[in-house]
Amino acid sequence: MSKFTLSRRTLLAGASGTLIASRAWAQQPAEVRVGLLVPISGMYARPGTVMRHGAEMAVEHINAQGGIKALGGAKLKLVVLDSGDSTEKAKNAAQRMVAQESDLVAASGAYLSSFTLAVTEVTERANLPVLTLSYSDLITDRGFKYVFQTSATAGSQARQALPQIIKLAETASGKRPKTVAILTDNTAASIASAKSMREGLLAENQLQLIVDETFTPPLADATSLVQKIRSAKPDLLFFLPTVISDAKLLLEKMNEFGLGQGKIPTISFGIAIAEPDMLQTVSPELLQGVLTCVASWGAKGHEALIAELKTRYKEPWMTQNAISTYGDMWVIKDALEKAGKADRVAVGEALRTMDAGPSKYYPLGEIKFDEKGRRVGAGMTIVQWQSGVPVTVFPPELALAKPFWPKS
Amino acid sequence: MLRTRSFLPPLLFTLAYAALSLGVTNSYYQLILTLVPVWAVFGLSWNLLSGYTGLISFGHAAFFGIGAYATALGQIYFDISPWLLIPVAAVLGGIAGLLIGFPTFRLQGHYFALAMLAYPLAILYVFEWLGFQEVTLPIKRNAPIAYMQFSDPHIYTLLGLAIMLATIVLTQVIERSRFGMALLAIKQNEAAAEAAGINTLAWKLRAITLSGAIAATIGGFYAQVLLVVTPQSVFGMLVSAQALTVAMFGGVGTVWGPVIGSVILIPLAEVLHAEAGDRFPGIQGVIFGFAIVCVILLAPEGLFWKLRDLLRKRKAPKAAAADVPETAVANVTALKPASQQRAATGEIMLEVKNLSRSFGGLKAVQNVSFKLHQNEILGIIGPNGAGKTTLFNLLNGFLKPSEGEVLIGGRNMSGQRPHVICEAGIGRTFQVMRPFLRMSILDNVVVGAYVRARSDEVARKLASDAVARVGLSAVADRLAGELSTKELRLMELARAIAGQPRILLLDETLAGLGHGEADEVVAVIQQLARDGTTIAIIEHTMQAMVRLVDRFVVLDHGAVITEGLPEVVTRDNRVIEAYLGKKWVGHAAN
Repeated sequence: MSKFTLSRRTLLAGASGTLIASRAWAQQPAEVRVGLLVPISGMYARPGTVMRHGAEMAVEHINAQGGIKALGGAKLKLVVLDSGDSTEKAKNAAQRMVAQESDLVAASGAYLSSFTLAVTEVTERANLPVLTLSYSDLITDRGFKYVFQTSATAGSQARQALPQIIKLAETASGKRPKTVAILTDNTAASIASAKSMREGLLAENQLQLIVDETFTPPLADATSLVQKIRSAKPDLLFFLPTVISDAKLLLEKMNEFGLGQGKIPTISFGIAIAEPDMLQTVSPELLQGVLTCVASWGAKGHEALIAELKTRYKEPWMTQNAISTYGDMWVIKDALEKAGKADRVAVGEALRTMDAGPSKYYPLGEIKFDEKGRRVGAGMTIVQWQSGVPVTVFPPELALAKPFWPKS
Repeated sequence: MLRTRSFLPPLLFTLAYAALSLGVTNSYYQLILTLVPVWAVFGLSWNLLSGYTGLISFGHAAFFGIGAYATALGQIYFDISPWLLIPVAAVLGGIAGLLIGFPTFRLQGHYFALAMLAYPLAILYVFEWLGFQEVTLPIKRNAPIAYMQFSDPHIYTLLGLAIMLATIVLTQVIERSRFGMALLAIKQNEAAAEAAGINTLAWKLRAITLSGAIAATIGGFYAQVLLVVTPQSVFGMLVSAQALTVAMFGGVGTVWGPVIGSVILIPLAEVLHAEAGDRFPGIQGVIFGFAIVCVILLAPEGLFWKLRDLLRKRKAPKAAAADVPETAVANVTALKPASQQRAATGEIMLEVKNLSRSFGGLKAVQNVSFKLHQNEILGIIGPNGAGKTTLFNLLNGFLKPSEGEVLIGGRNMSGQRPHVICEAGIGRTFQVMRPFLRMSILDNVVVGAYVRARSDEVARKLASDAVARVGLSAVADRLAGELSTKELRLMELARAIAGQPRILLLDETLAGLGHGEADEVVAVIQQLARDGTTIAIIEHTMQAMVRLVDRFVVLDHGAVITEGLPEVVTRDNRVIEAYLGKKWVGHAAN
């Protein structure tokens, strides 16, 4: 309680103390503190933990390569805060971050779009730059100056995905797909993706929708759904499950009906269907050939990182969460080099004006942000399950394996 | 005087909290200080409905979320200031309460709780379907104050405190008024409340409307603090649970409960999250849950009541010698034999004509007719299962007669709801006593007085008169939980007469009393009759009844087998047969 009842005088003394301390730091840059605000408890703990792995690896690599050269080789220090499992907890954690870690120069976070929205309401007012892998267009539609979106936004992903899938189908099979089926559950994210396809995107890409089914998870029996697909024989199947058991049920039924293992190319959106947890219930044979469009994935050029993640953290492959957060730390490092001082406002300014060339860790585009804070040219990747591992198969410059596509 | 004094503690608490808040400059601590009153108010809104009526709502997030979304969407789509939107949200919350309450109050107990659970979950999906997965309040850099966006976080805390103080005061006013008494009466025994003249549905609807309005107000304010609204964060299960957690932890059915719960739990959860969660992710949930389990085990009714009981116990031994009255029967004239019989010649107060009621094939009451004259004490006797209580339930409106009429003062009242019949002048007591144990005797009795009282003062006056008439004045301030069976019976009697009924239906008022005790109660009943109340009493112990009543009506298998003066009835062979079987008829004749 004594913490609460500080008098004004002690506070002033404290404040000037911090000033002196920070001046002392500027002269002898021991370390520069960077925040990571992600869920490490509650139902999103797993993706949050993977993000932490990515950040830890990056900080280690940066420090091993001499730290921040513009600051006399100052080392990066990662400060991890738990955003918990609710919007309120995420906002509280953000407030704690800006109130008690006042020397942070930038941060990365906060996994779920709604967490990121709440967190950046706080960090924006505290002038703390935040990099995020969250997709929601809203994050960078609010006119904020201190939030930077490294992934393609949801709207942009929807526009990018279809032409890429068609291009992939054409390169793999030599034939342009004409008909599609949509099989989606009625959760928010799936509905949003299906809606944008139905309302224009399919037509724009000269695709004809011949089966359109929505189900409520959990699915009790997939037979009737699969029968519809078998009789319609679409060239592509867009399958948007959220619950793993639904994915399992449908893939099993497809296999039973002789449609599995890519006979009808099955495409999903988002990383749910490519998380390591999938393998705990679904066998690799069933997943063989399933594709998903994600904002980022371990890809060509990341082989060493993927291997390190495997040995250090026992992660079977590098998801978007690991590689994007790894990239965030390098972007912050670049911004610090450009800013030339460990100051959040200067780092924010550096991020807004930086142009660090082609992106190494995010798919395509550059390390450069537009006036909204969106990464210029942000692309996406297509991942395919091959022998029990989801590997990047598209775009070709990032592909770790060749996509396979039924020849029939 | 009493009123202003009782508002002092919340005012002092609020001022102390405000002073504490102004001393805190760390914006993180300030945010926690803002969230404490937010959840306290939400707990209070839950308490207003569920704490006082005992109807547990698992779905208060419905109102909270409506408030939050109204405040957020109004700003986004219509550019209206939250200063205006939050009152609008309150109105919407109130309407939602009314709409939800009206169908849901048909259910009781667990069914009510489960039905309430469904509302926020259903609304959650509606908002997702509408495409409001993530809504952020637009930042207003030009007119921040007009849009309730303050750079100084203290102001949020002060606003939250203002809402909390208003809610506490409102709850206190309700607690002490006819409103609160009605809700408490519903909690003890909804049927008894109806019988005491309380229109339970109307009061419950008022409670859920007000509760919904408060929850929506604080939901709107919460949106303003969080700046982001998602269906999960305002309609989610955890939001509804938060209201229950703070209220049950702190104490249900008291204004301080949710406040105590919130003041302890919200900072505790945050401190655990911040301190322990960094080292062992997830441990905060374990410790928090464990702490709640322990408190609930040690203080099942919440901290407030536990502390109050402890304080009372500590005070009790000192006060015991001085306070405890010698005997409860102070101003009641001693028992006299019922010699001066009142002739059954007065005006007819109640007339029952051919009353029948069957449950499926069972004819519980068949073709019963009798008259109740002014100032008379009518005993309704009969063996177990004779249909006595069913008859009373028909008379006071709990049951609708299948056939026949009940004329009260010449008006046919059969089939009316209990509170209407109570207003017409019929009071009753119950075989099974359901006093509100945490309330004083006087407060228990006040509940019954409202049917005749326009104002709270009149009700208190009527109640203390009634308490005096049954001889409990000396113990009027003691809690019902500390009373003996006899005193509880007398208290029930006082509650029934506080509404100044012309006719009193007493259902086994002497049950469970020892000999001497029964005599004291009988004396009180006789005094009531002498004072002008007409009484019908059910009893199956003959002894006390013979001395008490003027006339008997004897029921067996739902039908009247005989009626008349006590000495005649007790010698009637049919009565002896009904009570004791054929074998004894011969013995009795000798």
